[in-house]
Parts: sequence; structure tokens; C-alpha cells
Amino acid sequence: MKKITFTLLSIATMALLTGCGDKPKSDIVTYKYTPAEVYTATCAHCHGDKGEGMPSKKGPAIDKKTIPELEMDLFDIKNGGVGQSTATEHDVMEHNMKKLKEKGYEYDVKAMANYIYNTFNRAK
Amino acid sequence: MKSNKIIEEVLNEIEKHEGVMSRRDAMKFLAASPLAASVIAGTVASTPAHASSSAKGKIVIVGGGLAGVATAAKLTHKLSNPDITIIEPNTKSVSYQPGQTLIAGGVWQKSDIEYETEKFIPKGVTWIKESVVSFDPKNNKLKTSGGQEISYDYLVVATGLALDFAAIKGLEGVITSYGPNEVVRQKVGKNGVYSMYFADGAVDTYKGIQELIAKAKEHKGTEKLQALFTDPATPIKCGGAPKKIMYLMHDRLVKAGVRDKVELLFCPSGDKMFGVPEYHTAILEQFKQRDFKWEYKTNLVAIDTDKKVATFEKKWLEKGEFDEDLKEYTMISMSKEVEKKYDFIHITPPQKAPDVVGKSPLGSSKGWVPVVQETLQHVSFKNIFALGDVAAVPMGKTGGSARKQYNVVADNLVAIMEKQSQLPSKFDGYTVCPLITSIGTVMLAEFNWTAKPTPSFPLDPTQERWIWWLLKVYALKPMTVYGMLSGRA
Repeated sequence: MKKITFTLLSIATMALLTGCGDKPKSDIVTYKYTPAEVYTATCAHCHGDKGEGMPSKKGPAIDKKTIPELEMDLFDIKNGGVGQSTATEHDVMEHNMKKLKEKGYEYDVKAMANYIYNTFNRAK
Repeated sequence: MKSNKIIEEVLNEIEKHEGVMSRRDAMKFLAASPLAASVIAGTVASTPAHASSSAKGKIVIVGGGLAGVATAAKLTHKLSNPDITIIEPNTKSVSYQPGQTLIAGGVWQKSDIEYETEKFIPKGVTWIKESVVSFDPKNNKLKTSGGQEISYDYLVVATGLALDFAAIKGLEGVITSYGPNEVVRQKVGKNGVYSMYFADGAVDTYKGIQELIAKAKEHKGTEKLQALFTDPATPIKCGGAPKKIMYLMHDRLVKAGVRDKVELLFCPSGDKMFGVPEYHTAILEQFKQRDFKWEYKTNLVAIDTDKKVATFEKKWLEKGEFDEDLKEYTMISMSKEVEKKYDFIHITPPQKAPDVVGKSPLGSSKGWVPVVQETLQHVSFKNIFALGDVAAVPMGKTGGSARKQYNVVADNLVAIMEKQSQLPSKFDGYTVCPLITSIGTVMLAEFNWTAKPTPSFPLDPTQERWIWWLLKVYALKPMTVYGMLSGRA
């Protein structure tokens, strides 16, 4: 049973040490299109040229959202929910996004949120 | 000397729960271990001996849970003249919520997670034992339940969230993990309906497991007893918990020799086991090995506790017309209600920001406090920060996230106080889910907003391991209670 204590001390130590100064281990990703190119080629069809929304296409307005709101929504869409087994709030758009991704229209959430905000919200 | 305290507490835990070795033996290991020395070096190095900032200003922290108290402690270390007030009505607000799964599984008692807030409020910090009833961020003021009007220069919102049982038709009550819960307990915690999302509910849940085992032992016939496990359509605390209780139930049924009498069915609102593909795949395999059943996009909306019938909203997509613009078929969101009989149901309640925050100028359309996700600064009010369960950030409503966030908030708040133009500290979405897969094994799922595994240890993170069980059961609580609440780890 001494093994238990030793193991515990080891993991407690590792956890304490890694608690300070760890780095995000994200990979560097490159994208085929800029957020502006993705927006014009795809999003604009349903969210409008100015993000004003298109009821006929069931695309909601996105020109009044803040950057964090946009980030949360885009995260939800691309990840299919913001938790582990929690439903996405955008089930149709989650499906559409998978299709867009297959066609190369992938984007960074932060970059896209900034593009939408700076182009359609702040400009007003 | 906090690190000594942590090691001391780890030893206490071993002694209390297993009696596996004597304190003297354990101390010998400590003395001989170079690891112990590095623990002490590690924690001391991360804590400056002297406060680094002489910035002044009145800081009010709303909420005295893990996030609020840890932030207060860290700020106390960083500021030479701290002026900090915590507003928190609950005298046991720092209790260790991650332990509730272990209570429900019959591994811990309620007393194992109960901690008196009083003992953890940092020296010099004022504690107002009231709740906030309204916020006036434009005038830097708020009002408390005792009628006090309190002004501040800087505000930290760390209220935690509310468990919204009332959102399920047939149930009543909006409660917290450790607050009053009589209304909810009229129907939850008896007759096959359980929820470990609050501490008393966790105690009841273990009784519920025992009841189901007794029922299973008497059960005749070919039809199995039904045990359902729900996962709602809102962000939740500890995304793993709705599944952990299933693994614990499975383990208890196996040990009692009645696993074949009971069907275990997971009914999540979403369409996957985990947002990180590697962990999703691993969990799916674990489910198959244990003969768990699951139905995706099946969200609990109503329950009839007399008839023992739960109603779920089942959603799916149907192919619509071809869209010439998109060169794709449009999809139509469909839904219908389905009823399921149960002998046992574990409810993970829908969760929301407390209305007093969510519906105030600090909140948002969804309630959660809108913050810049990396800096945790409020979107509209630059002297306000939010962290913990109430903040609008994706994925992590866990102690593991709060453990990263409080450092970010303390660093950035001090920078604002010093009138710095740049906020120095950034949160990357780190969170951790020690997914209990049996009594004796845990899969330590660590990840961040990249939705990729971010293991702290050089081991395959998709494996269930005994050492992570040890970490969960013996080490994380002392690390949290004595490391994090003192603002040091």
C-alpha cells in the first residue's frame, strides 16, 4: 500500500507543478479563405450582405451581436454545442457548417467573429 | 507553508478513507521523496513574498464560492493595500462540489465535502453575509438583501449558477448546490427520482441506487427495470457528471449481482458524448463495453412522478428542398414528444445564471455574464470581471476552469487598477473532467477551446486509469481546498 502514497504524491506534485506556467498546446491551422471571402461566398446567402438577416432563408440577423456573443454562437455551431453532451442551439446551422467545411469554407472562430462585428455592427 | 498543508491533507484523506497505511509510514515517504521537496519549491516559487502592486480601490466580489474566495485570496497577495469585500449569504459556500458524484456513488459522506466559508475568507477581507438583490453598474453600486447600498470601484461577479428544476414540467424549485432545497425535494430524492447536482440530492441518490438494487433483486420476468440518465439543453456544471453517475450505478449493480436486471439509458439533449472527438470515441467504447444504451437529441421536458413517466423532446433534422444558392439540401428542424417509463431516473437539471444577475444590466439574452473570453473582462463595463459558472464562456463550468480563471481575473484586475493599457493575462478555455468510469478508475479528460486533448501528464488521456481515481478521490480536494482557496495553486 506504500505504492498508493507514492503514486499520490507523484501526481499531486505533477499537478501542482503544471498548475503554474503551462502553455496551450494548440496546433497552428491555416485557412484557404479569409473570413471576408467565406462570408461573401456562403454566409451572405442566408444572413444577408450586411448581416441583416433573411427571414425567407431562416437566417437570423447577426449585425447586432457583440464579439463574445458571436464567438459563443460560432463555437456552438462548429462544436455542436458548448458542453459535452449538451445540444447545440443551432442544429440546422451545425449541419450546414459541416457541409461548408467539406467545401473548404473553414474559418477561425475569433477571426470570423471580429470580421462580422467590425464589418456590420461597428460600422453602423 | 501551504504546500505542507496540502500534503498533510492528502495524507489525511488516505487515512480517513482506506486506512491503507500509517501516518508514520506515509511521512517516511514524504521525507525520502524528492518529489515532496519540489512540491514545496513549486508552490513557494509561484507566490511572491511581497505584494507587487500598490494600486488602490474598493473591490467587491459577489459570490464566495471557490471562484470568488480564490480571487480574493490572490488579490490579497498581489495588492499591498487591498480593500476587498465578499458578498455571500451561504456559510458553507466553499464546500467541495466535485465530491457530490462520490457521495452519490457511496464512496464519500456529505461531511467529506462540507467546508466552512469562514475559515477560508482571507485575512483583511470583509465578508457581508447577505445576497445581492440588484446591480447598478452605471453608477458602480449594488443593493443587498439586508437593504445595504454598496458602492465599488471594481466588481467581480462570481455568483455561480442556479439549478432550474422548475424548467421541467412537473417539478418545482430553482436552487443551488448548498442552499435551501425543500421545494425541489418534494419530488426529487424519492420514488425513483434523483439528482446529485445538489449536496443533499447526492446523499439521496445513493439511497436511490440502493433502492433500485433491492428492487432488482426481487425483480422477476424478462422485461428489465429502466434507469434513465438525463442531460439538459443548457450549459451545465461538470459536463461529465450526467455520465459519471451512470458508470457508478453500473458498478454498484454489477457488485450486487443484478446488472442483468436493469437497462441503463443515457438521454442527452445533444448528439455526442463529448465535444472533443478523442474523448467522444473513448466514452462510446466504454458505453459499449458496459452495455449502456443511449438516445441522442432526447431532452427531458416533463415528468409525472406519480405515474413514473418521463417526457422527452426528441429532435431530428429532415431533408427539405434543394437550395440553388448553397447547392445543398436545406434542413428542417423537427421534434416530437416521447414518453418513457422509469424505475430510476437521474436528472441533470437545466441550469441558468441567477436571475438577479442574468436579468440585470450585467447579464445577457441568455443570462450568462458576457465577458471577453480570454481576459474575462465584462463586454460593456471595463471595471467588472466575471468568472466561474456564471461567466459566458464555452465548455468549462468546472472547478478546474475556475482554478485557471481566478489567476487571470486577479492579474487583469490589478492591471486595470494600475491603469495599464493592456490586460496581461489570458484564459485559453482549459478545463478538466475526471470522468469516473468505475469505482477505482477515472479517465482524466483535459481540454480547451481548441477542442483537443491537452493532457498535463505524459500519458494517453483516453485511457481509464487507477491513478486518476486516486487523484480524484484523494488529491484533488486538498489541492482545491487548501491550494486554490488560498490563492496559491
